[in-house]
Amino acid sequence: MHDPVSGRMARRKVKAAPKGPGLVDYASKEASAFAEMLGGLIEANVLANPEKQKDFDTLVARVGIWVTDIDEGVTLVFDGGRLTVYNGLEPRRTITIHAEAETVMSLSNLKIGLLGLPVYYNDVGRGVALKLLQGKLKIDGLVPNIATLNRVTRIVSVQ
Amino acid sequence: MAKFASDEWATLVKDEVNKSSVYKSAAKGWKWTVGLVIEAEPDKNFPESRGVVMDLFDGEARDIRVGPASDAQKCDFVITAPYSRWKQVGKKELDATKGMLQGKLKLKGDLPTIVRYTKSSQELTDCTTRFPVEWPDEK
Repeated sequence: MHDPVSGRMARRKVKAAPKGPGLVDYASKEASAFAEMLGGLIEANVLANPEKQKDFDTLVARVGIWVTDIDEGVTLVFDGGRLTVYNGLEPRRTITIHAEAETVMSLSNLKIGLLGLPVYYNDVGRGVALKLLQGKLKIDGLVPNIATLNRVTRIVSVQ
Repeated sequence: MAKFASDEWATLVKDEVNKSSVYKSAAKGWKWTVGLVIEAEPDKNFPESRGVVMDLFDGEARDIRVGPASDAQKCDFVITAPYSRWKQVGKKELDATKGMLQGKLKLKGDLPTIVRYTKSSQELTDCTTRFPVEWPDEK
């Protein structure tokens, strides 16, 4: 765990408030727009794609995403076939991604290539790699969790 | 200068979209209608909600027209915001993608599709900022 203590939090609420029988719950009764968008995106992706479903069913990780230019973020808590989305950054995250809104959207547009690995040699992939090199995309906890990051990318990607 | 959300404004938006090579390439494969709902703000001299219906197909704007909000609400993708938010978008004070992530612009429609076409929606929004607009609360 790269961040054993509490990180930045935005409008955090503690009690879980499941939203229906879907794959995704929202920890807060008032999930942020970003939380709902990401939760909705993942749910739609997983339901439409058996490969993503397989990843989703086996993934156990706490993934933070902080959007630097809107100062908002979420924590995605994957628990083997269930996802709870928290407003803000929760403690004990496996990976935390810090990026501008445009880069976060690009991450969702990474193509998945051979062996289920994200493609970094097309336009979108090069753009993401460049942001990483420029320090505009920061991923805390990356090195020990590359396999987890790849799996999260596969689940989030719309390509 | 075109009055915001008028027929003339809609024509100018359509012209800008069809002039944009960025849009043409980014929106290849797009085949859904987009509705913009502009919610009324009587105190801003925008007394009634209006709708913009965009018939967009494969990188081309086939038709863009202004009408009642209910028409826009029937589109495949609907983006809703009060007048003053749209004004911020039109004046480049609010980025549409950020606005959607922040919930300032409310989006209805298939999320994976809209995420796949982020670049084209960005360019579509930019097209609305490329000509002078008369804002009703600035008269």
